[in-house]
Amino acid sequence: MDLEFSKADEDYRQRLRAWLRDNLGEGGSANAVMRQAEKDPGAAKDPLAGARAWARRLHEAGYVGLAWPKEYGGQDASFTEQVICAEEMARVRTPPLINTIGLTIIGPTLVQHGSEEQKRRFLPRILSADDLWCQGFSEPEAGSDLASLRCRAELDGDEFVVNGQKVWTSLAFLSNWMFLLVRTDPDAPKREGISYLLLDMKTPGINVRPLRNAAGGQHFSEVFLDDVRVPRDNLVGELNRGWSIARSSLDHERSGLSGVIALEETLGRLWRMAGGLKRGTDQALADAGARRALAQHWIEIEGLRHLGYRTLSDQIAGKPPGPGASVGKLFASEVRQEMTRTALQLEGPLGPVAKRSPHVVERGRWHAAYFDALAHSIGGGTSEIMRNVIAEKVLGLPRLQDD
Amino acid sequence: MDFDLSEEQHALQEMARDFLAERWPTERSRQLLDARPALIDDDVWREIVEMGWLGVAASEEAGGIGGDVTTAAVLCQEAGRGVLPGPFESSLVAAIALDRSRDEALCKNLLPELIAGSRRVSVGIEEPGGLYGPDAVSAEAREEAGVWRVSGHKILVPEANEADRLLVAARTSQGPALWCVPAAAEGVTINRMDRMDAQSCGEVILEGAAAEGGVLAGAERGEALLREVYDIWTVLLAADLLGSAEASLELTRLYACERVQFGKPIGTFQAVSHRLADTLVEVEIGRSLLFAACLALDEGRDNAAPLVSAAKAWLGDTAVAAAETAMQIHGGVGFTWEYDVHLHLRRARCNAAMQGDADHHRDRIADYMGESWVAPVKA
Repeated sequence: MDLEFSKADEDYRQRLRAWLRDNLGEGGSANAVMRQAEKDPGAAKDPLAGARAWARRLHEAGYVGLAWPKEYGGQDASFTEQVICAEEMARVRTPPLINTIGLTIIGPTLVQHGSEEQKRRFLPRILSADDLWCQGFSEPEAGSDLASLRCRAELDGDEFVVNGQKVWTSLAFLSNWMFLLVRTDPDAPKREGISYLLLDMKTPGINVRPLRNAAGGQHFSEVFLDDVRVPRDNLVGELNRGWSIARSSLDHERSGLSGVIALEETLGRLWRMAGGLKRGTDQALADAGARRALAQHWIEIEGLRHLGYRTLSDQIAGKPPGPGASVGKLFASEVRQEMTRTALQLEGPLGPVAKRSPHVVERGRWHAAYFDALAHSIGGGTSEIMRNVIAEKVLGLPRLQDD
Repeated sequence: MDFDLSEEQHALQEMARDFLAERWPTERSRQLLDARPALIDDDVWREIVEMGWLGVAASEEAGGIGGDVTTAAVLCQEAGRGVLPGPFESSLVAAIALDRSRDEALCKNLLPELIAGSRRVSVGIEEPGGLYGPDAVSAEAREEAGVWRVSGHKILVPEANEADRLLVAARTSQGPALWCVPAAAEGVTINRMDRMDAQSCGEVILEGAAAEGGVLAGAERGEALLREVYDIWTVLLAADLLGSAEASLELTRLYACERVQFGKPIGTFQAVSHRLADTLVEVEIGRSLLFAACLALDEGRDNAAPLVSAAKAWLGDTAVAAAETAMQIHGGVGFTWEYDVHLHLRRARCNAAMQGDADHHRDRIADYMGESWVAPVKA
């Protein structure tokens, strides 16, 4: 049993650290890169110029598309290099990438299932952040029961004609491409009549309506599709075989170690905040209950970290994926929520004070973090679905009745 | 990067599991609840000794096999799963303590006898007063005319009544450490205590009892040895709790697959299956913490102590919750004497409260966070 990375891996880490030091600008933030790009005269036409510049810079240095094959612009990197890269970026809090959905979902899906022409056409533009992708899976009547989706696509010559509605589509209003699941055979059993399409968001008939979320922000949208014509070439894999392709991208294994670094940062912030808050004449941090709550978070984070190392070890050894991925997703979202609850509790009577008030604690960051954390047990597979997966796939309990 | 047990450790684990399933059916533990105290039967004990389990983490010179804490933890995990009573775990801890003391006389004479099963040695650290661990030790040791004498009050000393020697924690002006006291020495009174799971433990009253030799590991290293032994014992109990939690989960999993109500196996109902999924999550997080703590101890990492505390706090909570879940999901039969659920619940409840309960360990972690708030692990 060992937790050591090899000499080559440690060298990779050192090179990456040096690169991050040189490219993040003052104060450990990439904002400098982004601000510079936004000042560019051409930037006025593209509100995402800064974010795109940062994504591009990472790509040029070889720090995106790590798991992809070299022939499509990827790095063919090892599992440990992928983990090191994710860890180091989380450690210095690099800005979030705007093309994460492309890099982590549709890119790997096309590598695995796309035609040669689709790979050549789309993969380079995902890496360079020229294309931003959104995912058209969920529908008003198809959430956790995704396979009951109703958005229809009918072949008309060399084109599909798509009609229906998608919802909870993250970043739809910024994206120029969408990958979506459509029903192409309404008479087949529900998982056997679904196809996987690639849709140019500039096609006539698409109406994107941003939804304001419970936290007050704009992140996801409703997307209405009305006689939208999609070339047959944009079908991924075979007709009516889209469900298994979608499943393979949903099953994409991750060790979750970068999330651990972020949680650790959050716990450090909580600890410092508790040191600055008062309970009568004492610090909040002197309270036994507060100390134990924070210690419990330390335990949870170490548990997640070492679960991640087990997942990584299994990947390196070429073993079939263990319980790590579903367990990690479920547990991480719970820990995240508990930590924001602890934060609001530590704030005590000042907890309710809103953002712009002079009495606000830490500029109201914990209110936002709390709402954000609540979304984590819903998006990307609800916690209830994760429990179903664990019950059936890991524990081997009998499957719920389903057609 | 290979964060998994070695092939040898996996093989040992499988061997131990098979051995205990065959030679120590849970029925035996149930019978011993009515015939207290619960102790391993002599013939099974002999086989355990012959397999070398007591010396699994002791050096080869002393008759051990030179394994590490991780290897010892694997055996304790199986002891927990198989509801194996003492004096296996206390003997294992005593062997580790003697071995790591590097005390010439004890390592030459007592340790090989302990490993060979001809002498029994236990360890007494806790005292009345509601606190845990080396910092709460108030028993005193004094040197008089070349003889160390120990006075104080120890509780929850495993198999104290069956022991030939006791390694007891006491304090001098230099801090707490361990001394080896013969159980038959003048000034030693041993009274039975009884655990909820029928395991044997004792109250030891020391009134100027003469120790054999001096401070274990010497005055310089004596306190460090005591703390090390306490941590190792703690992590071995955490391993026992993991085995216990796994046993509760497995019992319940099987029952949920078989038991039919409303025309379906109850495992199809999410009220049941989701509770088991949550238990599985807790068990897997616990397994990860346990491996982390064992590895940190074996590699002498700076963060070993908080990781030990993390494993113990988490697995104590987890094993108790897993057994309570087992009882609830089993319904009426889970509450019968004939089902094994209460065996696991009893053991988990006892071990969760031994070697520091969850709050004790959370307090220890909070102290660590306060002292060194840095990124906890640099892998």
